[in-house]
Amino acid sequence: MQKYSVFSLIKNAFSSHKNWDLAWKDPKPKSEYDVVIIGGGGHGLATAYYLAKEHKITNVAIIEKGWIGGGNVGRNTTIIRSNYMHDENGLFSEFGMNLWRNMSQDLNYNVMFSPRGIINLAHSDAQMNVYSRRGNSMRLNGIDAVLLNREEVKKFIPMADFSENVRFPIFGGLMQPSAGTARHDAVAWGYARQADSMGVDIIQNCEVVGFDVSDGKIKGLRTSKGDIKAKKIGLCVAGSTNILAEKLNMTLPIETHLLQACVSEPIKPILDNVVTFGAGHFYVSQSDKGEMVMGGDLDGYNSYSQRGNLPTLQHVLTEGIAMFPFLSKLKMLRTWGGIMDMSMDGSPIIDKTHIEGLYLNCGWCYGGFKATPASGWTFAHTIAQDRVHELNAGYSLNRFSTGHLIDEKGLGTKTWIS
Amino acid sequence: MLYIKCPHCGMRSQNEFAYGGDATVKRPELNKEISDSEWNNFVYLRKSPRGKHLELWQHISGCRQWIKVERDTLTHEIFKTFKAEE
Amino acid sequence: MSQEFRLDKGGFINRDKKISFKFNGKQYFGYEGDTLASALIANGVHLVGRSFKYHRPRGFFGAGVDEPYAIVQLFRNNETDPNIKATEQELFEGLRAESVNCWPNVNFDIGAINNFFRMFIPAGFYYKTFMWPKSFWYKLYEPIIRKAAGFGKASIKHDQERYEHKYEYCDLLITGSGPSGLASAYAAAKNGAKVILAEDKPRFGGSLLTTDVNIGNQTGVEWTKKIISELKSMSNVIVKNRSQVFGYYDHNMLVMNERLSDHLPKTEKYTPKQRLWYIRAKEVIISSGSIERPLVFGNNDTPGVMLSSAAKEYIKVYGVIVGKKPLIFTNNDSGYETAIEFKKNGIDPLVLDTRNDPKSDIINEAKSLNIKIKISHVVVTAKGYKKVKSADIAKISDDKKHLSEIENVACDCICVSGFWTPSIHLASQSGNKSTFSEEIDAFIPDKSKQRETTVGSAKGIFTLEETLENAFESGFNLSKKITNNDNKISVPSVVEKKFTNHDKFWCVPLPKGKNYKRFLDFQNDVAVSDIELALREGYRSIEHVKRYTTLGMATDQGKTSNLNGLQLVSDVENKVVPQVGHTTFRPPYTPISIGAIVGREVGKHSKPTRKSPMHEWHKKNNAVFVDAGIWLRPRYYKKGNENLFEASKREAKNVRQNVGVCDVTTLGKIDIKGPDAAEFLNRVYTNAWLKLPIGKARYGVMLREDGIVMDDGTTTRISENHYHMTTTTAQAANVLSHLEYYLQLVWPELNVNVVSTTEQWAGAAIAGPNSRKLLQKLFTNKDVSNESLPFMGYTEGDFFGINAKIYRISFSGELAYEVNVESDYGNFMWEKIMEVGKEFNIQPYGTEALSTLRIEMGHVAGSELDGRTIPYDNSLEGLVSKKKDFIGKRSLDKAAFIRPDREKIVGVVPLDKKTSIPEGSYLVKDPKAKLPNPKLGHVSASCWSVEYDNPFSLAIIKDGKNMIGKKLYALSPLKNKSIHVEIVSSHYVDPEGKRVRS
Repeated sequence: MQKYSVFSLIKNAFSSHKNWDLAWKDPKPKSEYDVVIIGGGGHGLATAYYLAKEHKITNVAIIEKGWIGGGNVGRNTTIIRSNYMHDENGLFSEFGMNLWRNMSQDLNYNVMFSPRGIINLAHSDAQMNVYSRRGNSMRLNGIDAVLLNREEVKKFIPMADFSENVRFPIFGGLMQPSAGTARHDAVAWGYARQADSMGVDIIQNCEVVGFDVSDGKIKGLRTSKGDIKAKKIGLCVAGSTNILAEKLNMTLPIETHLLQACVSEPIKPILDNVVTFGAGHFYVSQSDKGEMVMGGDLDGYNSYSQRGNLPTLQHVLTEGIAMFPFLSKLKMLRTWGGIMDMSMDGSPIIDKTHIEGLYLNCGWCYGGFKATPASGWTFAHTIAQDRVHELNAGYSLNRFSTGHLIDEKGLGTKTWIS
Repeated sequence: MLYIKCPHCGMRSQNEFAYGGDATVKRPELNKEISDSEWNNFVYLRKSPRGKHLELWQHISGCRQWIKVERDTLTHEIFKTFKAEE
Repeated sequence: MSQEFRLDKGGFINRDKKISFKFNGKQYFGYEGDTLASALIANGVHLVGRSFKYHRPRGFFGAGVDEPYAIVQLFRNNETDPNIKATEQELFEGLRAESVNCWPNVNFDIGAINNFFRMFIPAGFYYKTFMWPKSFWYKLYEPIIRKAAGFGKASIKHDQERYEHKYEYCDLLITGSGPSGLASAYAAAKNGAKVILAEDKPRFGGSLLTTDVNIGNQTGVEWTKKIISELKSMSNVIVKNRSQVFGYYDHNMLVMNERLSDHLPKTEKYTPKQRLWYIRAKEVIISSGSIERPLVFGNNDTPGVMLSSAAKEYIKVYGVIVGKKPLIFTNNDSGYETAIEFKKNGIDPLVLDTRNDPKSDIINEAKSLNIKIKISHVVVTAKGYKKVKSADIAKISDDKKHLSEIENVACDCICVSGFWTPSIHLASQSGNKSTFSEEIDAFIPDKSKQRETTVGSAKGIFTLEETLENAFESGFNLSKKITNNDNKISVPSVVEKKFTNHDKFWCVPLPKGKNYKRFLDFQNDVAVSDIELALREGYRSIEHVKRYTTLGMATDQGKTSNLNGLQLVSDVENKVVPQVGHTTFRPPYTPISIGAIVGREVGKHSKPTRKSPMHEWHKKNNAVFVDAGIWLRPRYYKKGNENLFEASKREAKNVRQNVGVCDVTTLGKIDIKGPDAAEFLNRVYTNAWLKLPIGKARYGVMLREDGIVMDDGTTTRISENHYHMTTTTAQAANVLSHLEYYLQLVWPELNVNVVSTTEQWAGAAIAGPNSRKLLQKLFTNKDVSNESLPFMGYTEGDFFGINAKIYRISFSGELAYEVNVESDYGNFMWEKIMEVGKEFNIQPYGTEALSTLRIEMGHVAGSELDGRTIPYDNSLEGLVSKKKDFIGKRSLDKAAFIRPDREKIVGVVPLDKKTSIPEGSYLVKDPKAKLPNPKLGHVSASCWSVEYDNPFSLAIIKDGKNMIGKKLYALSPLKNKSIHVEIVSSHYVDPEGKRVRS
């Protein structure tokens, strides 16, 4: 594989960039694989990469219905963080943070991981206390967290609403300085390129039609490009999990919902951090292109459509202006929607299933993008070793029966409420 | 914005309603002996099909009645709405 | 200053009204009716900005919403707006605008150095480099990239403008007032339909403003005027200009942004700047027209290269010529229209037609006007840096692959026409899957998914005759369906020039040895070579191409670039365009200001504020308020220089020693009535409710079905079939919905009705050892003794002439009562309590003192009932009935919930009796343990115990039952605190509960 660097870039410039290799090939599926990963999104690609890299399992195919990176890895707000209260979430995500920090070098693909810090604004002392609980938990888990008072917040984001004419004044905030953003498409492409180079077959435009299960064991799958035998199959299709689960006669504690996001027109740098509003649900960062990238609530009803409606955005942007009044004069340029696996406690599932050789990676709710490397790493481990790693032990499917729930928000099973 | 026919009040915009999820979930009868899995299925498992979905909405800024709505989760088309008891 | 490029006559501008404006600090003049673009062109200004990546000079490319180039920073009424399209901004007196994305100025831009390095920075170059050394990405490379990106600058001043929202219902919404929009609106309106006709531009008429046609013996412009004035006079029609329908949402909800003030020097009083219309239309007619496509050739981004339709529009609408030596480069007949307009105004154009044998009326007309035409000719490259100076042209072979000898011709503008792309955005947003028309090389709407009909050139119909016929028909038929009227208007006769077929050729090959940049996306600097590179590297899906190269992701959203991009991908990949498919169109059609989307809900109005009837009293008495959800509650009442800590301590102490009064109006209140009310409560709450006597209250806990505590509160039996439930402030709405859910859906057989009465009652909690004495004075003819009104008792009484409800309940743990009167009497009640209470040393107390009182009593509240705890965790298991079933009961035997070391609430006291434990601290055995340090539990609430005068906290910790007496550490790394503590009972004060019963 060609190595990407400034030198290779210069070298190729002199041949008019005509000699660059394919970033990944477009193979026909083989008849049999050791592992088939369904879903060519971030998690699926990362899983294949770590299967090859960490477990030396390279007879692997990724089956993607559309084109790789076309799911939620390509339609999110690019936020990367590990600011969780629950130990399961915190330790898992912080493990991921370390993978993020080295990802560009590891993949030899600049994913532009940018640790610009995330600030969760608090608008009352009570909320400061709630954030303290979370921040202290983070610190005790070895994750960086700082509590900011109003004046300290002002130093970071002076253009936030510190005026008198404000409904919910800023009391302070919880900051994770090492959190940040990354270029989302690059993550998918970077994993794809490396996985491909290690022998993984990336098979696009290939739809899974059904599964071959006998004696409680997975044997293979049927696709639009023919039947494929597989010793192990990993499902990495957040957003479509329920559709595939149905083909396996499984019902999962997951509802499928639509989450919108939008960007403004590009403006000169004004916001360095990722900031979230505390008196509602709104988050924003400024991309390297200058666009303000914004998101918030779900549209609030089961949906497999990427068509969102305006009232949700109106509601989200109302909170945006409440936090950053300067947003009022910017223009909303582009909106999009992503389909979310909303699990019944807000946390994901990375686990084995009752079918031998079938593994499940789903239920990512709002937090799928930032989990990409840790999810891929632990899922690869779970598949390769046929047992969960301690990092994903908490993300079990049976926690809903045992009561070991991981409910960061304390909202229970009404997944559409945020 | 969805346009929902409240069977009690008529056509109303979505912002008068609150969503209530899968309408086919049936609460086990009180005092009935049931298995753990039956109970957990009731608490945690929902139908979430792509396509026709029978779901609950409450006309919260109107008559406050819970209603059932048959809606397509892919196109958002609403086929029919029902009163709670229908 | 003279406007060198302004024609002596023509256009729809008002030449009597001169307008002065400034661009990049220089003073210019234009006329009323100009856009900033037309006025600048009239003044010979063609250099407006710099491109995104290479900082190449940018001029004007279009004349409207499709403009990819001319983006300026606008200054208006002491404010500034970034990213304004000069082609859309109407001129007003005193307008000031500046170029963006250039430094130090647009003429000399340092960033243009990128242009010289462009061979090293093709599409996606940043994915391949900036990776070494590791830390340099965010320390050095990224900051530089960030600084270079972005266009305008945002103003950080609060927006003083007002934006409004309006909701409208209509039979037919028609988007665009070109010939098809006018015709369908007219037909539908005449047939009695309620019609809204929306036009994005200031002027109605669309293409009729710029084409020489005749409709019913009138010119297109006259006909437009007639139709518009008639429509405006009709009561069933709303006609709006400067109004962009930008989004087609579910169930035929469309959203339109009306710009009322952007064209004025400042917004007039009582007028919003913009108004957002939510329009629910029974039927929608999309008549949004089409956009001309560029032709692609070397350096086709040089200022002076523009769409031929734009050049024509500048002449016809603004009386402005874009150049004096125009070169027209076309693959269809449209270019000739522009050429003829130049010629009519005394300017000799040269037409290059890519076709080898074009024949049509309009070509004959051009020939008869002696317009020079070169067939089978193409522009190979534009020459000139900041403005076109000449063009290399060449004859092209019939297979369009080979160029013959290159010839240089002088010109000062190149007007290109690559045929027309229907604006299918709204149709596509509605869910309509478009279909590719081979005939016009573009996508057109397919079968409707919602109630939408596309007409005119938006559907790919390019003759006026057919357009009008189709539009009249659609307007009539759709209106008839709704109104059942049958009033049909006959279609007027049309005189127009007939066009012949266009050439499918659109991208000029590079001559041997030349490596000209041929741009597709002008704003984002995406060239043909970038697309080719992306495909070569395997980024083959159109979405990959778009994301890898940023094609179509600029502020114009690819209105001029998308289709050419698709053509290129299909050419290189040897596929047909429909196989490549297009990327999805999503709202908004054009960028919409966030202020308009949000409307009036800004500042203090971003969420409603709820206040108790006693709010003004609190304010007058130095209350410091706290947000409790959307309610405002007094947190404490400031005396002198007291701070929160001192004041709340004083207030709490006074409750413990004398008597205090607290506004508890915000508590949720629900009336529960009906013969099955007791049975219902018995199912809702964890404890028993069937035997509660009339006149008695009971504390209850309700669960979610998953066993987690949802809410707590007291419910009182007022009469046989009438109960009064209270909920926490935060959960009031949820609890009501929860009750309604069970009554309507799960147990409809129960004869019970619930209704919120939160707003009906004002509540005052009177608490403290003196509270009975005070109560007796408030209800002089009522026996309020412990025997007559015991703990958890309820009665009604006469409160100075008004009816009051008295509940003997206590959150503070003191002898306490809650008095409720109808809201309107709330303030009266409060003042009376304060007046009568004076002799008992009454003081009002706020939520902070209330917290202190409940914490040292070990009463749980929101910080313990946080959506994650079960009754046991809060030591509420005594309230969980073993005998009966209730909501959530079946979940309580889950393995995690019955673990022997399950978390439980405890009290925490610092060993030094001095150091307050911050809320949110964690309890650990070893404060210096290696991270992650195992946590035993967390501190949920802290106070300064007024009873014992030392800090006290509540915590929920593992195996809490067996931890009493143990010594642990409370850690708050955030506050750098490590406190040695002892675990005690959560009931710190009066554990036997004697006081409430006293």
